[in-house]
Amino acid sequence: MRQYTYILILFFTVIVCFIASFDKRIKFDQYFLPFLKAAIIVAIPFISWDIWFTLKGIWWFNFDYTLGIQLFGLPIEEWLFFISIPFACVFTYYCMNNFFRWEHLIGFNNILVFTSIIVCSVIALLHPHQTYTLVTAISTTVTLIFLHFIVRATWISKASLTYLILMLGFLPVNGILTGTGIDHPVVNYNSKTFLDIRILTIPIEDAVYGYTQFLLVIYFFYQFRKKRDQKLPLK
Amino acid sequence: MNILIMILTFCLMEGATWLIHKYIMHGFLWILHKDHHDHSNEGALEKNDYFFVIFALPTIALMYFGSLHHFNYLFFIGLGIMLYGMAYFFVHDIFIHQRIKLFANTNHRYFLAMRRAHKQHHKHLSKEEGECFGFLFVPFKYLKMYHNSSKK
Repeated sequence: MRQYTYILILFFTVIVCFIASFDKRIKFDQYFLPFLKAAIIVAIPFISWDIWFTLKGIWWFNFDYTLGIQLFGLPIEEWLFFISIPFACVFTYYCMNNFFRWEHLIGFNNILVFTSIIVCSVIALLHPHQTYTLVTAISTTVTLIFLHFIVRATWISKASLTYLILMLGFLPVNGILTGTGIDHPVVNYNSKTFLDIRILTIPIEDAVYGYTQFLLVIYFFYQFRKKRDQKLPLK
Repeated sequence: MNILIMILTFCLMEGATWLIHKYIMHGFLWILHKDHHDHSNEGALEKNDYFFVIFALPTIALMYFGSLHHFNYLFFIGLGIMLYGMAYFFVHDIFIHQRIKLFANTNHRYFLAMRRAHKQHHKHLSKEEGECFGFLFVPFKYLKMYHNSSKK
């Protein structure tokens, strides 16, 4: 039973959102393809990052909790992670966008980006030797600069609020993966490579890199969705 | 003590903003600020947005060097600037431009005067003429204006 741990976590993350996608008030199923394209594009750099970090021993997997199928040193579940977690996230964002009038959150974009860029840059400068911290801080800074100044995304605050709500799901999912409630963590971290500030057992960097990944998936989702459905105004 | 430095920095930033706005943005860097007044720039990016960098970079530097020296005064000066930046964006983006209907129907003369002063500043499209370069500190004449009108 133990070897199904990781795959079951992913299954329960996806299943509710998947079934709800077909609800006629939601109809997220019509956006499966744009979502899939977006998730795959974003997965490429993030899985490369994952393979590199596994090779360097920054983190490693406990194969007792996985099915045992491996690809480039990553269990198959880890590959699926980059589709299933973004699926739950984009689904939530899509629903929030449909059911709430929250366009005025645009007013928070400058404050959010200004503060985040300063904090991430200072942390990157202060921790050049802690690879996980450094890579996370740099990719977050670069993503925010790209989205705010180049793409001029108006939805950064909306996505950030969604991510904050998604923390309710993130905490149990990533909590179990990093060892909350089970004998050993599924994913282990070398504590010298990050700040070692943890929420339960979750390194704070996980929450930040998850945020960056989420913002990028939303960006590409908008791009592919726009192509697919030119008639609908971009929300 | 550090908190005092932070608060003092925050207050001095109002003065610095006034100076930078009046003599730099409406001075030799008018080329960057111009499109904020006349909306001449096509596309979404205003050149004016580069001022984001002008305020963020020294803040990052101050906070970084301050942290290297056991979070000394430099760090708190940086923090003061960051908080001022946050206050600036909060008031400018949310209150003045009414992104959120916060205090939309206010009768408080400070808020009315602040909005009025900002409008007055934007009335002038050219570099040389201009008034109301400050931000959180509102000229007394506007406060007086609303003081009198609220009495009537």
